[in-house]
Amino acid sequence: MLPAFFVLAAMKFGGLSFTWALLVGLLVALLVLGLLFKQLVVDPILRHGVLPLVISTLGLALLMKEGVKEFYSAEAQGFPSPWGGTNLTVFGAVISAQSLVIIAVAIAAVGLLQWFLAGTRTGRQMQATAQNPQLARVLGIPVDRMILYTFLVNAALVALASFLVSPIYLAKFTNGELLGLAAFVAAIVGGFNQVRGAIVGGLLLGVADNFVAAYWSAQYRAAIPLFLLIAVILWRPQGLLGRAEERTV
Amino acid sequence: MNPVLEVRDLAKAFGGIRAVNGVSFDVREGEILGLIGPNGSGKSTLFNCILGQLAPSAGEVRIDGRGITGMRPCQLNRLGVGRTFQLLQVFPQLTVRENLILAGQEHQKSMWGRLIGRRDAGLGEAADRMIEFFRLSALAQEKAGSLSYGQQKLLDVAMAFMAGPRLVLLDEPAGGVNPTMLAGLRERLREINAMQRATFVVIEHNMEFVMSLCTRVLVLAEGRIISEGTPEEVRADPKVIEAYLGG
Amino acid sequence: MIALVAAPFGLKPYGIYLLSLWVVMTIAAIGLNLMLGYAGQISLAQGAFVGIGAYAAALLTTSGWPLWMAFLLAIALSLAIGWLLGYPALRVQHHYLAFVTLSFATLVFLMLRNEEWLTKGVYGISGIPRPTLFGWAAKAPIAFYFFCLGILTLVSLATWWLVRSPWGRAFTALRENPIRADSLGVDTRRYTLMAFAIGSALGGISGVLYAPLVQFIEPTAFNLNLSLNLLLMVMVGGSGYFLGPFLGAAVSVLLPEWARFGSDALYLIMYAIAVMVLMAFCPSGLLGLAHRVLKR
Repeated sequence: MLPAFFVLAAMKFGGLSFTWALLVGLLVALLVLGLLFKQLVVDPILRHGVLPLVISTLGLALLMKEGVKEFYSAEAQGFPSPWGGTNLTVFGAVISAQSLVIIAVAIAAVGLLQWFLAGTRTGRQMQATAQNPQLARVLGIPVDRMILYTFLVNAALVALASFLVSPIYLAKFTNGELLGLAAFVAAIVGGFNQVRGAIVGGLLLGVADNFVAAYWSAQYRAAIPLFLLIAVILWRPQGLLGRAEERTV
Repeated sequence: MNPVLEVRDLAKAFGGIRAVNGVSFDVREGEILGLIGPNGSGKSTLFNCILGQLAPSAGEVRIDGRGITGMRPCQLNRLGVGRTFQLLQVFPQLTVRENLILAGQEHQKSMWGRLIGRRDAGLGEAADRMIEFFRLSALAQEKAGSLSYGQQKLLDVAMAFMAGPRLVLLDEPAGGVNPTMLAGLRERLREINAMQRATFVVIEHNMEFVMSLCTRVLVLAEGRIISEGTPEEVRADPKVIEAYLGG
Repeated sequence: MIALVAAPFGLKPYGIYLLSLWVVMTIAAIGLNLMLGYAGQISLAQGAFVGIGAYAAALLTTSGWPLWMAFLLAIALSLAIGWLLGYPALRVQHHYLAFVTLSFATLVFLMLRNEEWLTKGVYGISGIPRPTLFGWAAKAPIAFYFFCLGILTLVSLATWWLVRSPWGRAFTALRENPIRADSLGVDTRRYTLMAFAIGSALGGISGVLYAPLVQFIEPTAFNLNLSLNLLLMVMVGGSGYFLGPFLGAAVSVLLPEWARFGSDALYLIMYAIAVMVLMAFCPSGLLGLAHRVLKR
């Protein structure tokens, strides 16, 4: 939700063109949702446990929503898209260009992320940090910086998602809640420790959601991700593609 | 007379690793059996299999002739089996006295009976006696989390005995306890063994502790028993010396 | 305690409404505190149980049944469903359990919204009457407040007894060290299910009071936000402290209204920042903070 508003603000208050505003929006997102989020919110609280962090992020969500509502606007704002409303006809089905772009960008983003994590030195260092932070530190990997990179990558992906989705749903301060929840569910269903898992989870979720809505019951479509979630958590907690994590007694 | 504990061909494999590889032994009533062996020989795994924390891959365990393989730990406790853990596990937010009451309360009356009955489930005096016995009187009202490591260890052992168990498995009770307390611990264990006719199986690395406390010793290496006998016999056994020093 | 009895007499109806709302939310928060603070089980479904209780009360009383029957129904339903909700807790912990309960909460919300034949869906149920107790009509704001206060007192006494009993000790053991508790004979499975059942039942009771308080209910009031809010109340007040829910509910219900007088636009923002700062400096909540200060 927020990155889209960074862009809109850049255009409205900074007078920037759309492309420059996108860039500014991305950079601000990296700064605020990545760096500042980590230093100011996560780091001080995480050592006390996950639950205080959850409450704090609840507060943060409220802060962001109210902030946008107060300082920008409570109304839905249009968000420009370079592909406008163009539609393509493929094998008789009408598909909007925006949707195709979203799919293409998603695949490209995940592919890029996979390559980064497995193919570059930094990426592999990040994986090492995730698997065994103490050992990573001993090996000389700057663990804290790796964690920072994780947050930055997340901020970038979130900004990307925001830019792609806002043209369709319009930019409004209430955006993002449903999508955030769906993202969580997709990540768990796919498998928390596998990037490919996120794609599988997201795809499974999106397809199931729309099929159920179209062919069965539109009202209970939101229940599908939940059923999937419950099923996965109870029978395969590591997710469809994830690896089981051991626990020492 | 039936042995208190019978273990037959117990085995536990984790993937390709056989932590316990066909172990059989008996423990007679009143014995203090020591279980020693180099690191990684499978001692704790053996305990966990006997006590229900892990399900064995093969073999059988019987207590007083009754099969208990695969029973849940809380059911075993009701049958009169107690244990201590290698990783210290007391309840830090409860006081010492509360820890002890907790250790015995599930044996008093029924679950619903405990809800409407007395706050201490009738175990107040028993807890006080235990505190006295283990010389923890000064700490009775302290939160267990604020005790020193050695004191927590004593509490841990005391908790295992609150329910008056027939069989107690002690996993490295001497670990991390300073030498002055060690002698006291050994005396307490001997006294309880005599008083309650309880049977002990003790895993330990501290040789002196094991040799001076136990009546019989088993030596485990790579998941198998390689020697058995009185402490003196085992100490002199060349196979044992090799297991510890060789390889 | 005296303050609570004297409080409503100086206030306008909206103030009395807020006090009553605080009472009602406290009851639900006590239930959640029991599950989370004492037994160590996370539940993001407490809001759903408030909804179940509220709808039970609304449906029964608008058809002419007395409120005490709604209490019975709500408690029975919440106990049973809460018990069932405990089963996932036997398999998974912490954030996985949170997600399962979260899913359950959303499912309940969806059912409340979609099953219009029963709940009238988004149109809601209106005209919920307030109870009459042995001839005394608890209809006026102050009277109903005292009715709620009475229920809160009963709930508090019962919870106090529970927490101080061997069950309370068993719950603490369950929270701190389930493996050790198991080896001491504590039937962790049964106690976990019990914690869920009782905690959820308190949510149901809270709902039965909520319906006649607001007199019009619709599903959105019981969605995930309520569950998250209740979680916030428990954490901010101090998880595991007996008075935590009282304080937390006060903060969540009363503080934003209070702050509204100071600065109309920014009160929610300040509230949000306050919550974040509190969690950073004292994750054991306000009572944890007080405890720390008093120990010096």
